Amino acid sequence: MSVWDDVIDQPTVVTTLDRAVRDQTAMTHGWLLTGPPGSGRSTAARAFAAALECPRDGCGECHECRTALDGSHADVEIVATSGLSIPVRQARELALLAQARPSVGAWRVIVIEDVDRLTERAADALLKALEEPVSRTVWVLCAPSLEDVIITIRSRSRHVRLRTPSPEAVAELLTRRNGIDPQLALDSARAAQSHVGLALRLARDDGARERRRETLRFAGGIHNLGDAMTAAATLASIAGDETSAASGERDGAERTRLLEQLGADPAARTQPPHIRSQVAALEKEQKTRATRFGRDVVDRALVDLLSLYRDALMVRSGAPVDLVNADLGDQVRDVAQTHTAEQLLLAMDAIGVARERIEAAVPPLLALESMAISLQVKGVRV
Amino acid sequence: MKLQVERDVLAEAVTWAVRGLSTRPPVPVLAGVLLEASEDSLTLSAFDYEVSAKVTVPAQVDEPGETLVMGRLLSEISRSLPAKPVSLAVDGAKLTVSCGSSRFALQQMPTADYPTLPISPEPSGSVQGDVFTQAVAQVAIAADRGDTLPILTGVRMEIEGDKLSLLATDRYRLALRELTWNPSTADASHVALIPARTLSDTARALGASGTVGIALGHAAGGEGLVGFEAGRRRSTSRLLDGEYPKVTAIFPTSVDTVAVLNTATLTEAVKRVALVAERNAAVRLRFSEGQVGIEAGQGDDAQASEAVECNLQGPELEIAFNPQFLLDGLGAIGTAYARMSFTQPSRPAVLSGQAEADGDADESYRYVLMPVRFAS
Repeated sequence: MSVWDDVIDQPTVVTTLDRAVRDQTAMTHGWLLTGPPGSGRSTAARAFAAALECPRDGCGECHECRTALDGSHADVEIVATSGLSIPVRQARELALLAQARPSVGAWRVIVIEDVDRLTERAADALLKALEEPVSRTVWVLCAPSLEDVIITIRSRSRHVRLRTPSPEAVAELLTRRNGIDPQLALDSARAAQSHVGLALRLARDDGARERRRETLRFAGGIHNLGDAMTAAATLASIAGDETSAASGERDGAERTRLLEQLGADPAARTQPPHIRSQVAALEKEQKTRATRFGRDVVDRALVDLLSLYRDALMVRSGAPVDLVNADLGDQVRDVAQTHTAEQLLLAMDAIGVARERIEAAVPPLLALESMAISLQVKGVRV
Repeated sequence: MKLQVERDVLAEAVTWAVRGLSTRPPVPVLAGVLLEASEDSLTLSAFDYEVSAKVTVPAQVDEPGETLVMGRLLSEISRSLPAKPVSLAVDGAKLTVSCGSSRFALQQMPTADYPTLPISPEPSGSVQGDVFTQAVAQVAIAADRGDTLPILTGVRMEIEGDKLSLLATDRYRLALRELTWNPSTADASHVALIPARTLSDTARALGASGTVGIALGHAAGGEGLVGFEAGRRRSTSRLLDGEYPKVTAIFPTSVDTVAVLNTATLTEAVKRVALVAERNAAVRLRFSEGQVGIEAGQGDDAQASEAVECNLQGPELEIAFNPQFLLDGLGAIGTAYARMSFTQPSRPAVLSGQAEADGDADESYRYVLMPVRFAS
């Protein structure tokens, strides 16, 4: 077993980071891990932190590894934000922390999971600490892509790029780690387009799979304005269901874990005051997260819809590539037959526009209605 | 785990160990206190990443073991127990605390998530508790509280043989305290940069009685730690890293004017006059033969002035200081008389203590203060 086990299908990344752990000359003080969502940036960052603290260079079993992966190691600071930005106050605290020597392990590791969420002033506050590091401090920064990180941070760190893992690798992980049936794991991995967290959710929750299928049914199924309006409303409500189901599951798990760590009995009906206050703080955080999460879910539904049109386009053009929705072959072929290549591209464009609008804080239902209207099929059969 | 321990011993140990625990720890598991029972003692440890505290007390142990429970809760419980022997026993997922006819059952916290504690160091030497506490208080006031230069938030502790010096500066003032200590090896030589806040908390918590053992360098288990020990209480603090600015050149090499004043009188006078000094405004001190005139406020603002007796040697001089910084220094010297040495109004002044009006200067503590420029 090794800490790198969960960093799937990233051989070059693992080689680079593992060498840095073992070989002093390959090490540097600032690392920037980039990769698309779901590629395992933060998993890789945590594994790297654990390997640096582990006396056996990342065995994955010892107490140091476990606490580092978990985020409770004394010399590993993991900054993960569920809000929209990392404020300058927090960045200043980090700069101060970076000056401290490690107290237990060999390195002080500071992992920032969303460097792209640093406000401009927060990023500036970090520059000094990044540029003139003390000898035992390592920064591990994660971002979706290089362009999301301001140039002054980019130039002060070493870049490591993660790729989207193959669906097979994701499926293998789900089977190994979570005991999911291999075929189901593979289908889910494909449908989630290799996003590990999402694939696990699809594989575990029948409801999530059903909701996804329902979303996809709209592709090629909108024939008039009435259909369009119904489709938009249904899409919004499906997304709503998905939001509450997904966040309900996660919120509950987080709450149980917090209570466990606090030494409180999760089954107790009332908790002591000091525990109640911490639980209340967690619930408040979960609520702020819910807003952002709701938007993410709509976006993901649109990506799913987009994937179906993309599959149809692949079928239509006869390109020999794997389909995302291999399990929905009939519908893909049907959409491919009822649409011209141009219509498919226009549909994909319309979905793209809707995603941009939602990102820019347009009320989701309005954006979805506008998109559904553009997705109408005019009954042409070619 | 199963053991019996005296109520007072337990209450004191738990209270001391959890004193530093925050109510909002960075990770929930740090709210716990770790109890380890070995042959004939009970060790309690707490950790908040920055400081670790560990205390070992005698106990009658029936069954060794370890457990992690909510620190504050255990501390409150142990303090309110009747004065009878307390027995602690792990029973399933709970720790049972029983004393007389009271029973408490505390949920255990997962020890697997608890971070590795820094190793308790072997001391490199020791120093008198009261001397150390005073020295830390004298120096820590000058450390930077801001976040522009993290390194200045620390106190630099330097050890050379039997000399121990503590130094801190925030660029406007600098405090240096030198004292002698008892190193375990004659050629001890260490430099460590300890966060000022944790150093003063630790010094206060260890208490002024007895001796304090200090562990530095390899003796502290790792390079990044300093350890303190007083009796059965041990604590560690993490260190700051980096190059501390060269500050020895700040001490003036020559002295032109020396003034000796009564510390309490001057402090009172400066406090009064400073009432009219707006936020960052200075108080002006005009030293002349036999007295110093203290003034603040200019032009249309409120003004105040007062005269205090002083013994002046050398040319007369007018100089201005930030009143708070001056008061900090006067409060730290801890002697009946204060000795101020100047070269020029634009150069730093040195404040040190003096036991009697016409006695010798006590150079073990020096507080260097940058003057404020003023329009004359």
